Amino acid sequence: MADGTIFEKRGVPAAAIVTSRFIHTANMMARRHGFPDYRYAQVPHPIGNLTPEQVRERALAVLPDVLAILGLAGQDGELSPDEH
Amino acid sequence: MAAGTNTELTEADVRAARRAIEACYAQGWSDGLPVVPPIQAFVDEFLAQTERDPDEVLVTQEHLDRSCTVRHAAINAVMAGCLPEYFPVLLAALDAFRGIGAGSGLLQSTTGQAPLLVVNGPIRARLGFNSAENIFGPGDRANATVGRALRLIIMNTLGIRPHEFDQSTHGTPLKYGCCIAENEEESPWEPLHVERGFAPEESTVTIQMTRSDLHVEHRGTQAPEEILLTIADSMSYAGGIYEAPPYNRTSGSIVVMCPEHAQIIARGGWSKQAVRQFLWEHFGKTKRELRRFGKIIDLEDEAEDTFIHTAQSPDAILLVVAGAANAGVSTVCSNFAWRNATAAIGPHPLPLSQSWARGEPG
Repeated sequence: MADGTIFEKRGVPAAAIVTSRFIHTANMMARRHGFPDYRYAQVPHPIGNLTPEQVRERALAVLPDVLAILGLAGQDGELSPDEH
Repeated sequence: MAAGTNTELTEADVRAARRAIEACYAQGWSDGLPVVPPIQAFVDEFLAQTERDPDEVLVTQEHLDRSCTVRHAAINAVMAGCLPEYFPVLLAALDAFRGIGAGSGLLQSTTGQAPLLVVNGPIRARLGFNSAENIFGPGDRANATVGRALRLIIMNTLGIRPHEFDQSTHGTPLKYGCCIAENEEESPWEPLHVERGFAPEESTVTIQMTRSDLHVEHRGTQAPEEILLTIADSMSYAGGIYEAPPYNRTSGSIVVMCPEHAQIIARGGWSKQAVRQFLWEHFGKTKRELRRFGKIIDLEDEAEDTFIHTAQSPDAILLVVAGAANAGVSTVCSNFAWRNATAAIGPHPLPLSQSWARGEPG
């Protein structure tokens, strides 16, 4: 979360992904960095013990949120025509 | 003697003290135990124990925009119950803490490590730091309060508290405070600070983070290798192995060896360096054992019988002799992403007001 807000302050688009057990700390960190409404993506916890295939499934599931945070997705989660 | 208290303090005094303690709880300044209410006069007593600038920054957590100055340290030392004379020791602990990057960003980790402090040199006797019986237990003011002061700094000044920025899954009781002194007098080897290049007459604080302490006993042998293998096996417990890159194989251990074990080993011709080398060689598990525990990552090219070291070198093993010389009980303190540092304890600008040799308060 700290990294995400620091990137944004420096003008580098960033999307932070937080697991569900760290939502409270994530919100506190965002407030500490002056971004009380900082938007980030969430995935279920835990992820440390997932197989590579399970990680891929989680990544695909959260991809629309990540793209939306980065301003790269339309309302349906698809990439904008000029983005790849 | 006042009625109701059997001391020179009146009941009104004591009730006021309790209100002050409760006010500190209400402010969120406590580690769960009562703190000594900090007023400017108390803080000034501590600041008088050093010539360092009260505004000097000692440690920072940049990502939290928090820093601890000498003044902040004094406030927390008051609250921890330190005597003013302990303050230079706490400052050295913070200098050492800065030397390891103030926890290297791991103060908030789910691992939940505690800073372990080791005090060396003449300051131990002068201020009453315990290096013998019950070294990890309660009862000695210097040990208890200096260790506690560091934790209060982490919570109050650096802002890392549980249910907020401290994300420890379990933590450890060592987080209340962990400060021991080396039993230099009953050690067969050179003390830790001398090993690190300090003169014997200098006093220092060494710091390394630790996840927990583990009881290790061997009371029935005179064979050094049997003791050392027991210690190494204890260091290598499966639950202490972090298998994922980049932190796999970067762990360390603090081996607090009791005088009895140390003397048996030294009589067998073992130097301190030879002991650390042996422990490192046996600190870990084979690939086959790691497979059994499901802790096998990035080892595809290794044979099943390959021994996978948990630490990169003997440098990751801190060896200290401490505790009573009354039984074969040592302790190992596991560490994640090891770093340690030693800092000199600065001079006391004021004469020590009392002799705090253990058991002899002046």
